[in-house]
Amino acid sequence: MTLKILLALTLLAGAVQAQSVTGQAFGTYVNVAGTTSQSPVATLPSTGGMATGMSDAFGVPGSVDAKALNAVTTGDVGNKKSGAQSTSELENVSVAGGAITADVVTAVTASYAGQFTGGAGGDGSGFVNLVVNGVAITTDVAPNTRVDLPGVGYAVLNEQTPMGDGVTSWGITVNMVHVFLQDALTGLNTGEIIVGSASSSVAN
Amino acid sequence: MNNGRHLASTLGALAAVLVAAACQDGASPTAQSITAGVKPGPSSCVNFRLTGGGRVDKLEPATGKNPPASHDYATFGFQARPDRNCPFDNAGSGNIEWNEHLDASFIYGGGFAFHGTVTFFSTPVDGTQTNPQCGRFGGTGRLNPRSGNTLENLPFEVRHACDVAEPGVQQDHIYIVIGPFADGSFYSRHSLLTGGNIQWHRLTGNN
Repeated sequence: MTLKILLALTLLAGAVQAQSVTGQAFGTYVNVAGTTSQSPVATLPSTGGMATGMSDAFGVPGSVDAKALNAVTTGDVGNKKSGAQSTSELENVSVAGGAITADVVTAVTASYAGQFTGGAGGDGSGFVNLVVNGVAITTDVAPNTRVDLPGVGYAVLNEQTPMGDGVTSWGITVNMVHVFLQDALTGLNTGEIIVGSASSSVAN
Repeated sequence: MNNGRHLASTLGALAAVLVAAACQDGASPTAQSITAGVKPGPSSCVNFRLTGGGRVDKLEPATGKNPPASHDYATFGFQARPDRNCPFDNAGSGNIEWNEHLDASFIYGGGFAFHGTVTFFSTPVDGTQTNPQCGRFGGTGRLNPRSGNTLENLPFEVRHACDVAEPGVQQDHIYIVIGPFADGSFYSRHSLLTGGNIQWHRLTGNN
């Protein structure tokens, strides 16, 4: 009998549990020599809803140049399930002085939570006509692919970073291009460039 | 015109379908304005809301991404719900962003970004109407083409957005129609999600 009561209370608690969502998307972020620049950011309200950040063009000479930047994040907190999803897109992209170029960069994330389960993923993310160090990449880029950029540093393409504990919270950040600028002599990091970033998370 | 879909030549027949659909359930403000002589009664709005975002590629029921070089995909984000005050039947509110990459996606070519404002929200009137976790909404918006001039006050309709399962990839689906454009054609895309999610939520007391 006691077990049944406990089970009922647990199920009831699950039905009315508080959930929260986060979401963010942006086109570019540049941090060079301590100076940061960022294109418009879409940040999801904590109660859910929708946010957008857009720009016709954005550039930091020598670091990044892009057009048609479009960032969107949406989400909702419900009694039985919650979700957040973010997209970031840019066109005519050139990164690190042309070491990386693409016709289109697309980052997509989605995170969801039900009463007893949840998940997050970056499906839908990708490049159109990606070229790295002058070499065309015609296949999908696997998550967390590292490429060296001579004279610049290195980049992680389709960088995917999970968030949450996988039990009560789930989330993911996808940075389609993450360049780590390095000093040619010391190898120390001197800055970073992020292009096409989307993140989302949910928590029970 | 891959898969014979989504592009600019569905023309007048679709317009007739859209108008008929709007009139069928009294979903649009226009439909409300033609009920002259009928004593106004309490208006009615549905009791759920929808949010979603992600990516769509191939025509439903095909799944998976198109080849990147085709530029044949779109990304989107939306929130839609019944108007809190329900001033007329199926009054709605919300927003949608739709970003199309296919060069041949409408009369000016080059893809576009569409920003829509939701004015009506209802259950679907197409083949998904028996699915309790689908919704329909629409309104007007601004289309910014990659080439050509911005188009204002373009009608749009999401004929259905369906929350089939979690996660939504290859399960949830959406069908959007934008137009008519100056030549009478429409843009449409009707696909399963290749990224992202759509969620259906029943309204409760305070939301």
